Amino acid sequence: MAPEKDGQIGVAAKDVVNQLAVIIRTAQIHNPTNVAVLSSIEKFVSMLNRLIWEAGSVELELVGDYFYLNEDRVRFSVEYLLNFDFLQREFKGRSLGRVHFLCGLKPEDMQHFVAAFLAAPHRPDPFESLSHALEPVKCIEVGGLRRIAEEAEHDIRRTVKRTYFNAVSFSKGVMKKLRAGEKVNIRRAKRIVESMVDLLLQQEDLLLGMTAIKNYDDYTFHHSVNVSILSIALGQRLGLSKRALMELGMVALFHDIGKTEIPPEVLNKPSNFTDEEWRIVRRHPFWGVKAVFKMKGVDATTIRAAIVAYEHHIHHDKTGYPRVRRLSDLDLFSRIVSIADQYDGMTSSRVYARVPMSPDRALSLMMKRTGSQLDPLLMKFFINMVGFYPVGSLVVLDSKELAVVCGTNPAHPLRPKVLIITDPRGNKLQEPRMADLTLKNPQGEYSLSIVKSLDITRYRVNLAEYLL
Amino acid sequence: MQQEAREAQELLQTLARTRKNLRIYPENNPVCAKTVADAFKRLQEYLHSNGELHLKIRQNELLLGDAPVYRSTDRDDNLAMLFFKDGIRELTIREAITEEEFRDFMKILAQDLDREDVEDDIVTLMWERDFEHIRYVVDENFLLEEDDYQDRAVKQATEEGTQEEDLKKAYQDALQMEARPPQGGIVPITEQDLNALVKEIERDSQDKFPRLSGILVDLLFDALPQEYPDVMNIFQNALEYAIASGNFASAVHMLRVLHGFYQDEATPPEMRKSLRGLFAFASSPPLAKMAGTLLDEGKAGAELFSEYAGYLGKEAIGSFITVLGELRTIEARKTLIEALARLGQEDLEALAQGLRDQRWYVVRNIIYIFRRIGDRRAVGYLMKTVHHPDVRVRMEALRALGELRAQEAVALLGQALEDPEAAVRSTAARALGRIGSPEAKALVFAKVTAKEFLNLQFSEKKEFFEVLAGYNDEETYEFLLRTIKKRALLKRAKVQELKACAAYALGLMKRKEALAVLHKLRESKNRLLSEYAYAAIRRIEYGT
Repeated sequence: MAPEKDGQIGVAAKDVVNQLAVIIRTAQIHNPTNVAVLSSIEKFVSMLNRLIWEAGSVELELVGDYFYLNEDRVRFSVEYLLNFDFLQREFKGRSLGRVHFLCGLKPEDMQHFVAAFLAAPHRPDPFESLSHALEPVKCIEVGGLRRIAEEAEHDIRRTVKRTYFNAVSFSKGVMKKLRAGEKVNIRRAKRIVESMVDLLLQQEDLLLGMTAIKNYDDYTFHHSVNVSILSIALGQRLGLSKRALMELGMVALFHDIGKTEIPPEVLNKPSNFTDEEWRIVRRHPFWGVKAVFKMKGVDATTIRAAIVAYEHHIHHDKTGYPRVRRLSDLDLFSRIVSIADQYDGMTSSRVYARVPMSPDRALSLMMKRTGSQLDPLLMKFFINMVGFYPVGSLVVLDSKELAVVCGTNPAHPLRPKVLIITDPRGNKLQEPRMADLTLKNPQGEYSLSIVKSLDITRYRVNLAEYLL
Repeated sequence: MQQEAREAQELLQTLARTRKNLRIYPENNPVCAKTVADAFKRLQEYLHSNGELHLKIRQNELLLGDAPVYRSTDRDDNLAMLFFKDGIRELTIREAITEEEFRDFMKILAQDLDREDVEDDIVTLMWERDFEHIRYVVDENFLLEEDDYQDRAVKQATEEGTQEEDLKKAYQDALQMEARPPQGGIVPITEQDLNALVKEIERDSQDKFPRLSGILVDLLFDALPQEYPDVMNIFQNALEYAIASGNFASAVHMLRVLHGFYQDEATPPEMRKSLRGLFAFASSPPLAKMAGTLLDEGKAGAELFSEYAGYLGKEAIGSFITVLGELRTIEARKTLIEALARLGQEDLEALAQGLRDQRWYVVRNIIYIFRRIGDRRAVGYLMKTVHHPDVRVRMEALRALGELRAQEAVALLGQALEDPEAAVRSTAARALGRIGSPEAKALVFAKVTAKEFLNLQFSEKKEFFEVLAGYNDEETYEFLLRTIKKRALLKRAKVQELKACAAYALGLMKRKEALAVLHKLRESKNRLLSEYAYAAIRRIEYGT
């Protein structure tokens, strides 16, 4: 389609999505025939007919976490975040992937659509019901949520793994090079982070899943990459632009770069640190600033990276370390990285803290630290991102099967994507199988549900076996 | 297809030419604007007939389907290589592309990305621009740091699989335990949260440099003395970046804070020494030049620049002199001269280096700065400029010597009275007048009483008599009266000019005893004499 010729329709695209969200929200509160609903429908129809006049028809599609209007991704600013998020969940809740508006759209057609849309979740198959209810409406066609084909998913998994391990390998290389006083390839760092941002935008679960695997030897390097991924994911929830996400990913990747100055015998010490060793470890933010400036030419990203390298252990209430003379608020990126850093650190088996916490316990502890150590506003978004069952959680289904959570489900937070790993008698499955917890039986009841969650760290479940 | 391939071939030649032009000419050059506009028109025509342009990229060629439509083996001017080397393997331009997108795309292609200090490649630039109608496929394999890292890491992580008994234990525990609600959850995001987030993001767009500055200060105070050089190095890089990126206010703020520490007696001596090094760096030619450019472009206000210069040491003098010759605006020059006048007091020798500059206006400005400083130790340097080939420089030097009452330059000034340029001679006379010593006075009298003096222009003669008036002593008074009473048979007009000058001088001296002579002179039929006598009388009687 060619609707973005003069940039006018680019503005309208986000307004279309926003207005549709307004209609649904208003209709959920009032009756669909209420004057507030009708007036927002009229506004929507007039907006849409202008677009239809220019482009012939308008197709709104949800792919991954993004809306596309006539194949062009709809870009939006943070003011629209709530409505975009809402509409996305509503679409996903009905397995609705596509709405095609054709020439001659009238307010009555939209009223019909809204009524069918609101009724759909209460039916056994929401999408079928919506589609059936819209048959008499000639100007609106709907399509189901596109499932990624197995082959395509396999390709994405391969890309995710390659990107992840490449990032870890790069992070390892950076440390080595800095220690040897060699030059670090920043172009490569940018490319790696760009790939991570793209993957998180397309298939957040797969890359987040990689951060849940903790039994690698190279903790420090995996940690840097995990913090980068978690930070980007949180930044995305906050509505940061793609460019800002890249910068955030870069600075997060280098947040612990000061650790290159910590002697390996201290960094890799298997027992508790002495006071003197703690003193050395607590110097790494100081060394981080030095390392960042040594690593790359100065630009806006260097400045940001230096700030984050210095501030990521300073708490929201200015406690933590290093002690600061200024009392200004911490940088936004420092606060994001601090959350990602704590979460990954707590859920990892580090040299000086062998027993990791389960994701939900870590989250619970972090919630207690909200307001003192961690930023309360950002934590709200982080909690929602991680969900009830963070990726990597071990859960028990009502079928008595054990399963590992391998992806969240924003539309149904209590129904994440799971991989069943035992049979109903607790025997290990040689071929674990994916299960969709949103599927319902002919009686309209969910086929499978989570009944309990277990502390995965107590059972030596190797997540790599299931998530890689 | 053949037709399409031919059109694509022509289009790509146009794009290659456009790229070349963009690399040669500055962006605002009309040639560039026209080439880009023409190329865009051509692209639109192509897209209109063929829907989209989809190219496969090889090292030295671009393919449309399987047909080569561009080929080059050139190392520097090779569109295919440009994409290929950064991993782009397919490129698609869609019909709805806007002119703005196309212009940005061409600007990216025209960038010199081979420079070592450039930290972006073409993929990053295209990724950041986030084109709506240009898509590309990238092969990321060449980014791999270690070929087998993934295999090794996966092998190590999966080596020890989950044991049957561990799962059994988990299963048993699960059967026994109570149903436990999940500990995480979903927190509703309210409108208030969203507003707070919008404000956060707005705040986040503010300049980060002051925050960095604060961190660096913390760093400095946390550093051990042996770490000061490293910390100073960071300060230097940051300062250079701030100035280079036009963030002059932040750079000055940083220097202000550090200068405070530098002046604080409680600051440890090693730290002060390191800070001194930083101020020396701030005074170095590259920084001074960048600051000067900002001043010239109006990006650094006069007040801010003066403050900046105030933190610098005499090391900045040489750099500022270089910059002085390159400034284009008078305001910028004035501000820099003020700065040099302050810095120059600390090192006249360094300032005097500027007197050797090839550009006459720089030399004149330096002499002017010496005048502003008013330090008699500059006389030696100034005396060397009295014979400068440019008349404006000579005049400035003479003025300076006069103002400095440079007795040792009297002989030189005397020579300048014979300069081929009238303005220089007058200036020399005024300088001698200011010096006021008997030797200086003697030279002026000698000049005025010389036979050739009569032949000078009236205006020049008048200047000399003005100098004489400055002596205001009996000898001069008598000389002026004698001049007025002089009778001339030859060169009568010239003599009358001389008399008019004498009347003018008497007026300036305000000698009442000269009134009788002047009234008599006023009766003269010669209009010049009469007018000058009248003016002198008025000055003596009424002070006007």
